[in-house]
Amino acid sequence: MEKKVIISVVKLTLLPALLLALTGCWTTPNANVQPAGKPGLIQGGIPVEIIQEPVTVTAIDAAQRRLTLQHANETTKTFVVGAMVKNLDEIKVGDILKATVKAELSVYILADGKLPNADGTSQTINFDAKVLLVDPSYRLLTLQFNNGQILTIKAGLDVLLQKMAPGDAVVMRSNEITAIALKKP
Amino acid sequence: MKLKSMFTPLRVGMIAAVAVGLFVASSARAQLPPDVVKEALSLASTRVEAFDILGGDYGLSGGSYKSTAQNVDTSVSKFGGMGDIGIGEIGGPAPLGNTGIAWQPRLQGSMGSLSTEKKFGNSNPLIKGDKNKFDTFAIQFGGGARFWLNDSFSIAPTIMGMYGYTANSYTANSAFGKANLAAARAAGVVDWDINTWTIRPATELAYVYTWRRTIFTLSSSGTYYHTESFNSTNPNLTINGNSEMWQNKIDVDVPLGVQLFNHELRTGGYFSRSDFYGDLDTGLNTEHVYEAHGRVVLDFLGQLWKCQWIGLGYSYLWGSNFTGVTYGVDVAFRF
Repeated sequence: MEKKVIISVVKLTLLPALLLALTGCWTTPNANVQPAGKPGLIQGGIPVEIIQEPVTVTAIDAAQRRLTLQHANETTKTFVVGAMVKNLDEIKVGDILKATVKAELSVYILADGKLPNADGTSQTINFDAKVLLVDPSYRLLTLQFNNGQILTIKAGLDVLLQKMAPGDAVVMRSNEITAIALKKP
Repeated sequence: MKLKSMFTPLRVGMIAAVAVGLFVASSARAQLPPDVVKEALSLASTRVEAFDILGGDYGLSGGSYKSTAQNVDTSVSKFGGMGDIGIGEIGGPAPLGNTGIAWQPRLQGSMGSLSTEKKFGNSNPLIKGDKNKFDTFAIQFGGGARFWLNDSFSIAPTIMGMYGYTANSYTANSAFGKANLAAARAAGVVDWDINTWTIRPATELAYVYTWRRTIFTLSSSGTYYHTESFNSTNPNLTINGNSEMWQNKIDVDVPLGVQLFNHELRTGGYFSRSDFYGDLDTGLNTEHVYEAHGRVVLDFLGQLWKCQWIGLGYSYLWGSNFTGVTYGVDVAFRF
């Protein structure tokens, strides 16, 4: 008898919750949306480590500890190799690497790709990526780069993830390689 | 995916009663009365079904259980879990055409062993010192899909198959037990083993809500078990039974905002009530089980391949006639 009463109560409780939950529909993650909020810098100087893999070595300047890497989409970029990297002398042009790169992110809310200045003018921000997903609980920030590549970053505790949303513009500055793993020559 | 490595007893008290009944009935005769044998085998049948589920099903926690009504100790060691598989570059649900519904595949598996022993004491003076023991091993695997009707609400229909093996052994230490053990064996009431298969369709409704950084998950799952036996040492012991379980759970996952070993510390836990119906209710001699679980874990998501957290968990379980505890490593994966 007690069991039947409990079941009836639960059913009566679940039914409205179910109807409430059924409203709306699942939305595909989309970075190409205008985020809500006043245009401006949300946070700059966010340190992150990014794994670039696979990248091909196109030039080496051992004396200056500089390495030029080509990505799968054929874009190239020159990085400084940090002093902590001990295997630079093993790397040759043509090698395929997994490189860990220290980068800094700046996240903006832009209006039509522009950042308004205090004097009423605006400047164009050449952003590299947009925010696709934000998981503030597990501190995951998923970015979609302009070339379509998707990257998920584990953000630090001090990153203001709760202020970030899909569509925010991200400028990434990366120039120092902190680790190199040789994939194949 | 969450993995559990944890622990159970329940209805062995009735076994004691039947065993005593059998021996008393047989004391003046060479054979056991057919109606008593039939009752004993019927009880054994529901018990095997229940032990298979308790020992092998991932939906119920393993652990160490003690009957509050009978002098029965049961332990269950279990390893298993379930998880939704991420699709695509983002590793989440994938849209199902233009329906506004997304889906992702789901895998579930578990294996475990159960050992329960009744030691007869002063309440059974005729067979004081005798022991009746059941050992069960069960393994299950299956899967299904989770359908996201919106960003928070999902339905996950699944189907699993389970193999189980249960052996009974009776140790006669009393003079009465020793004198009548052969008759009980001949009747197939003790010292038997049996193989079983179970089909397990289930559906889970889940609602996920994030408040600030804390994740609340409400879920309700209905599970049906159909079990049949094969290859039993006792041809009179056959199993063809049905059970149902309805489990309602609330889980809270709280990030603490402090780092330990470069990983954020998280805490949380869940409270659940599992209602049993059919042979599961009869075999375990309880209508429902409550479980309160707590955990302290380190966040590894995005830092260690597919690993969501690693830490320690503890559960306290209680029903109408037993209590249980379980503790161990708490590991969760996200695929």
